[in-house]
Amino acid sequence: MLELIIQNAINALQWGSFYALIALGYTLVYGVLTLINFAHGDVFMVGAYIAFFVATFFLVSLGVPGWVVLALCVPLTMILTSLVGVTLERIAYRPLRNKGAHRLYVVITALMCGLILQHANLAIFGASRKAFPPLIQEHVYNVGGVSFTNLKVAVIVTAFLVFLILHWIVTRTRVGMAMRAISYDKFAVPLMGIPLDQIIVITFVLGSGFAGLAGLLFAMSYPVLEPYMGALIGWKAFIAAVVGGIGDIRGAFLGGFLLGAIEILVVAFFPSTLRDLIAFTVLLVILTFKPTGFFGVAKTTKI
Amino acid sequence: MMLSVENLEVKYGNIQALHGISFHVNAGEIVTLIGANGAGKTTSLYAIARLTPPEAPRVIGGDIRFQGRSILTTRPSDVVKQLKMALSPEGRRIFGNLTVMENLKLATFARDKDADLEREYERVFDLFPRLKERRHQRSESLSGGEQQMLAVGRALMTGCRLLLLDEPSMGLAPVLKYELFRKLKRLNEEGMTILLVEQNASLALNLAHRGYVLDTGTIVAEGTSAQLINNPEVKKAYLGG
Ligand SMILES: Nc1ncnc2c1ncn2[C@@H]1O[C@H](COP(=O)(O)OP(=O)(O)O)[C@@H](O)[C@H]1O
Ligand SMILES: [Mg+2]
Repeated sequence: MLELIIQNAINALQWGSFYALIALGYTLVYGVLTLINFAHGDVFMVGAYIAFFVATFFLVSLGVPGWVVLALCVPLTMILTSLVGVTLERIAYRPLRNKGAHRLYVVITALMCGLILQHANLAIFGASRKAFPPLIQEHVYNVGGVSFTNLKVAVIVTAFLVFLILHWIVTRTRVGMAMRAISYDKFAVPLMGIPLDQIIVITFVLGSGFAGLAGLLFAMSYPVLEPYMGALIGWKAFIAAVVGGIGDIRGAFLGGFLLGAIEILVVAFFPSTLRDLIAFTVLLVILTFKPTGFFGVAKTTKI
Repeated sequence: MMLSVENLEVKYGNIQALHGISFHVNAGEIVTLIGANGAGKTTSLYAIARLTPPEAPRVIGGDIRFQGRSILTTRPSDVVKQLKMALSPEGRRIFGNLTVMENLKLATFARDKDADLEREYERVFDLFPRLKERRHQRSESLSGGEQQMLAVGRALMTGCRLLLLDEPSMGLAPVLKYELFRKLKRLNEEGMTILLVEQNASLALNLAHRGYVLDTGTIVAEGTSAQLINNPEVKKAYLGG
């Protein structure tokens, strides 16, 4: 019984890590811009593809050893994916912001950007799925009836590390303070000598960089890539961010792990076809009782 | 001339709020802009700080010069960073979700790496000891007077040479008003140039070297403080007889 609980807890943490890593991007951008960046799930998908191309290039074309490729993949994927996020902000969101467009139009633009990323991918690379090459030898450990792999542990550890890093950035650095200040009173921020656009770009760099990292880890864990892989997981991560309290990074992680746990639990007891139905229903019930999510406050004054 | 505003005309949407006003501030001076509610004082400061519409106005004519150079294309963050002008805005607008110390630290965002920040925090705390006592509190929890001190302290931490103050006495009890104005005088004696916007004309004219009177977007009187205090029209309209 105890083994079963621990086993499911590990699975829930690993599965929730992906939601958490993606949810933080929604939450960061929302905290700073009150924009729901619906393209973010597809930025995760692009991250997985970037990881795929970087990995195949070094592994197959140059014959570099797998662990070296992984060490290269992490920074390269994060950098290239954050460039994608920053590009979206630059060519799609910033012009609208400068024209003072209503939030509704910006959200619809974000939705379109997501669709463009999906279909550009489809158009360029075709509908066939891509198989992500194995970078490290996957070891299965068995401790007292609980089994886990080195990759699973790495995913969980990464999610916690990312949380600590982000928490440090948001609470301790001047950039983080500026992000919180923007969420409180955007108008007064330039009076501190802080260029708004610079902080917004940093926000997108962080959100999409970590989405890229999630894409890499996801591709390593479930090595089949297709253009729509970011859509459902993106929606789920967004909902996780809302349940946690959008705008608060603690909420993104709590919501991500909670959703992971619910899904794993459902699958443990019910046919897996019921997974999403039950998971979404539970989240809906939570939101009915706590519409602003766990860490959310009624006013939007948070990251 | 440190700052000069020349025939400035601005609009909010289609409504003109300033109709060609001119005034200037010399280095080392305290200059005040007085006028009734809605005269265009805040609008003038927003334009100088180069803040952006819709909350701030759009310049449609005239010029704003800093040390002779037009700043109409300068970004608001560069007004602080490069020109070293800082605005303590109307209503204080401190970041209530940050602590007092974080508010002050945030204002050093654009400072040079080699700035001696420790000494400057001390200078602000020396000027406003209450801020030091409360430095770890969320600034939302400060009293109105303390928030005003924070707003001024925050502007000072940007390393400004020209301090723009928008109704710093608003909402303060009389004792605190006089205390704040004594501190502004001390700041000026230490070399800070100040452009002070006030509804409380007698308080402002007692502190300032020179002043301008603004009425519905037009400057209707100007001169040294003594001249304005003795001007019968100004006396009647703004100094209670
Ligand atoms: N954001 C705004 N949009 C439209 N009109 C504004 C705005 N801010 C101020 N105004 C108008 O501009 C005029 C000057 O306002 P303001 O500069 O705030 O006056 P003061 O600071 O002297 O009280 C007023 O008529 C006011 O209604
Ligand atoms: Mg005003």
